[in-house]
Amino acid sequence: MKEPDRDKKYAARSIFSDRFLENWTVFSENLLGKIGLTLLVIFAVMASASFFTPLIDPMYHPMTGVDPDISYSAGPSIRHWLGTDFIGRDILCQLLAGARIAFMVGISAAFMSIFLGTVIGMIAGYSGKVVDTLLMRLADMIMVMPTLLVVLILSSLFGQLNIWIIVLLIALFRWPGVSRVIRAQTLSLKQRPFIEAAKVAGASHFRIIFRHILPNVLPLSLLYMTFRVTSAIIIEAALAFLGFGDPGTVSWGMMLQWVWKTGHMFQAPYWLLPPGICISLLTLAFYMLGRAMEEVLDPRLRKEVGGE
Amino acid sequence: METRKFIFKRLIEIFIIFFVILTLLFMLFRLSPGDPITRIVDPNMTPEDAEHLIAQLGLNRPIWTQYVYYLKNFMTGNLGISFHYGQPVTSIIWNRLFNTVILFTTAIILSAFAGVFLGKIASWHKGEKTDIWLTLGALVCHTLFLPWVALILIWLFAYKIGGFPLNGMISAEIWTDPSSGYWIKFLDVVHHMVLPLLTLFLIHFGSYLLIMRSSMLDTLREDYILTARAKGLTEKVIRNRHAAPNAALPVVTSVGLSLAFSISGGALTETVFSWPGIGRELVFSVSNNDYPLAQGAFLLIALVVLLSNLLVDVFYAYLDPRIRY
Repeated sequence: MKEPDRDKKYAARSIFSDRFLENWTVFSENLLGKIGLTLLVIFAVMASASFFTPLIDPMYHPMTGVDPDISYSAGPSIRHWLGTDFIGRDILCQLLAGARIAFMVGISAAFMSIFLGTVIGMIAGYSGKVVDTLLMRLADMIMVMPTLLVVLILSSLFGQLNIWIIVLLIALFRWPGVSRVIRAQTLSLKQRPFIEAAKVAGASHFRIIFRHILPNVLPLSLLYMTFRVTSAIIIEAALAFLGFGDPGTVSWGMMLQWVWKTGHMFQAPYWLLPPGICISLLTLAFYMLGRAMEEVLDPRLRKEVGGE
Repeated sequence: METRKFIFKRLIEIFIIFFVILTLLFMLFRLSPGDPITRIVDPNMTPEDAEHLIAQLGLNRPIWTQYVYYLKNFMTGNLGISFHYGQPVTSIIWNRLFNTVILFTTAIILSAFAGVFLGKIASWHKGEKTDIWLTLGALVCHTLFLPWVALILIWLFAYKIGGFPLNGMISAEIWTDPSSGYWIKFLDVVHHMVLPLLTLFLIHFGSYLLIMRSSMLDTLREDYILTARAKGLTEKVIRNRHAAPNAALPVVTSVGLSLAFSISGGALTETVFSWPGIGRELVFSVSNNDYPLAQGAFLLIALVVLLSNLLVDVFYAYLDPRIRY
């Protein structure tokens, strides 16, 4: 009994690596994908650099590090490559720390919403009837709510929100789009013979959903994850910009709020430009990556771009 | 008749969804820390006024009675008194709603038209330089961070180059001057509207362009386009009269689907430009701990989003005769 099982595993692995190689070739020929990935690597380097800046000198700490000689917003210099903010904190260090927060918020919120969306979508599609109707109505309801404004009203009720609560809220409000796609996919998978076979073999519903359906919808979920990262980063940044971010973290949105609220908008372009460029470029990078992945996953799109 | 039935069905759905939102908000309000009375009743009120308001909102009653009072007050348009303005919330948000609607609908309509037009051109020149630049430009604009774009536009057009007002919707000196006519007042509002409009336009047209482009490419492969070519129609007629109207339909759907996202963007734009709209009122009331106003603004925005979704659906059925609800 054990031998064929192991063989199957090896076979599966080699099919997987072949498919991976083939997909990687398609992906690497895609210009958008390449640009997106390059940008992401740059931002990842920035995010990891943020751990080391306070070690060089305590004044390079993004939140508490104040330059002892400067207590106003100064332009770029050798000591502060991008200048300082209104109390003399280094802007470059804040920018690096912002990259870390953006990655953290984007990826964790996207992961959670994809998890929720995939599980709910599979359950709705697989069980059908009342469960399906109820879950999809719930999805419709959440889908029409502007997430940013919902988080705003919640922060008016519960006071200043912690960054992880913000992440959780974003995830809670961003699953419906994913769940609809996964549900549609599950509905078509349900009719396939292999599900029928699993049923006849006596597999439980739980097993069918997680062992037979999940592997088939997972690529689609991962594709949606890149788009969810984008929206999570934008929502967090917008929230911080309006002054409702976590006061204990430095995010790009918060940097923009500082430059706006302290009235340095017209005097300090060196402070106004970098955070906005970073938010825009990072979301662009994830978006491009998503589009490239879409082409890898959907051969119809691939032909359209490659041929003709 | 069928359409009417569909609208009726959707209205009932909207009613139910809105009822759920109302209930959830009530529950969250009761779950939130702090004394509910101090959140709703302005500490600066005279004791008699406060007493009156508490009785009116039923805050001194058991929780179930409070819920009934809350629903009843909402239905009769009594949303409490704003701390900041000292006026009934309903009258404030009604005033603001109009300002939001003009800014927002103008922006959406303009960007949808531009997106359809440019998307058409991009798909027609597929693979050429025009297409690449348009697509790339759309991608970049689509992912720009909205408040930052707003700040940059203010910096550029109101400060560096000049010629446009920094913020607001009207200039006081024109509106208080008795000699200025309607035409001048109208132009003044338009003058104030240019920059917020440009912000919303830049953020929105990109996604419409991308959708139009891919939908147009799909449409061009249809048989009826081949028929049109075979009939010997000119390329221009095929593009503008046969392909484009059909290809524009997904743009309408996307306007509806992205409405919730756009409304958040509208609130951000209003806040940065101090445009006296309902989104800005929501942001301000949340920062001022003015809960009655925040609640009112939020509920009104939710209602507007729900109803405009229905509007988009009906409009879609009107545009596409194949759709019959």
